[in-house]
Amino acid sequence: MSRFLFPKWSNLLLPTIILSGAIIPLYAVFFVAYGFSPKTLEVGYQPEQPVPFSHALHAGELGMDCRYCHTSVEKGAHASVPATQTCMNCHTQVRPQSPKLAKVRESYDTGLPVEWTRIHKLPDFAYFDHSAHVNRGIGCVTCHGRIDTMEVVYQKSPLSMGWCLDCHRNPEQNLRPVSEITNLSWDQQTELSADERKALKDKFHINPSEDCSTCHR
Amino acid sequence: MIPLPPRWMLFTGVLAGLALVIPPAIIARVRATPDPNRAVHIFFDMDFQPKFKPQQVNPMFADGRSQRPMVAGTVAQGETNLDAHLHEGVVDGKWATTLPAGLEMSEEFLARGQQRYNIYCSVCHGYAGFGDGAVNKRAMELMSSSDGPADGTAWVQAKSLHDPLVREHQLGLLYNIATNGIRNMAGYGTQIDLEDRWAIAAYVQALQLSQNATLQDVPPELRANLKKEEVK
Repeated sequence: MSRFLFPKWSNLLLPTIILSGAIIPLYAVFFVAYGFSPKTLEVGYQPEQPVPFSHALHAGELGMDCRYCHTSVEKGAHASVPATQTCMNCHTQVRPQSPKLAKVRESYDTGLPVEWTRIHKLPDFAYFDHSAHVNRGIGCVTCHGRIDTMEVVYQKSPLSMGWCLDCHRNPEQNLRPVSEITNLSWDQQTELSADERKALKDKFHINPSEDCSTCHR
Repeated sequence: MIPLPPRWMLFTGVLAGLALVIPPAIIARVRATPDPNRAVHIFFDMDFQPKFKPQQVNPMFADGRSQRPMVAGTVAQGETNLDAHLHEGVVDGKWATTLPAGLEMSEEFLARGQQRYNIYCSVCHGYAGFGDGAVNKRAMELMSSSDGPADGTAWVQAKSLHDPLVREHQLGLLYNIATNGIRNMAGYGTQIDLEDRWAIAAYVQALQLSQNATLQDVPPELRANLKKEEVK
């Protein structure tokens, strides 16, 4: 009976195992950080809406101000989805028989709301206030992207805590005058110098808090 | 030369190494493409709490609204709206020609009116008030489509605010139109705040004046500036 002898190439196994032992944990960390990041999971959420409303047409081509429909954005925490009446300001006369508007007409007749699918959603323990931001120099485009070019709206930003803090720690990057808040094609990085943005920070008395209780109450 | 392991083993090893590239590729693709479905939630923490925020769904009610509409016939505190001047633009049965008590005419007030006008009114009436807003333009295009008005469009050219009849509108009437609408125009009472509707009415009169002003309306010290503009 012959003895079992490890073949010569098995000497390679030890370095291979050590190398794998070093690479695989790194790989796992990379996989979780890259794959489970809100930038992967949350960004790009683009649900089909009950009415094929085009922001590209209304806010882009027609140049309607965001606040024409989202009226509460300067006054409250919540930026309201418009009432059906707002659609019907024009659509009683513009394309009133369009099949795309069927759900809007139904809502207008029954008094029940159009069931839009919510895209931007924070966890229920985070309290974001739109009015605090838009009245002090943070434009719509900073978080929502170029809505005026989107046929179907999708989520542009991860809305993660790290993403909030990026701006709370360095707000100058994103400040613009209140007059340009809803101007989505206006870019404070190119239109304003760093000093001008710094001046806005002083003007609006911006000192963003990083305390837990600022957002979590 | 170090002796190599059997071929099948090398092959499996290389294949396993290559397979490591697949997950990042999938992730990169997920990042680059929009997704109609919301991400799967694994850790709920307290992300979804049994409470109602504005404009959410409450299945307890037949209409599904978390925000309850007011019961018919009720009046909220402070919303009796009995001040005819403030709420309807009427004084002694006639259209008011002045701002209601509590509102002051000022440059700031007019600037606010301009800003609100540009948001809510300019879409049809145009920034200068000639009835040439973007929505009006598009609707008129639909009306003159070669196949007849698209999808039953029945648009009437938006009124120019410099129309002689409109120029005779009193401040109170302008406010009332902004609030309750007129003819084909819907009321904006729910979209625009009360004070802002007065500011818009005041700004509309300023716009009207701007298109019908004479040199005598310009303060003497500013007339020289106007002449300069003319020469350019």
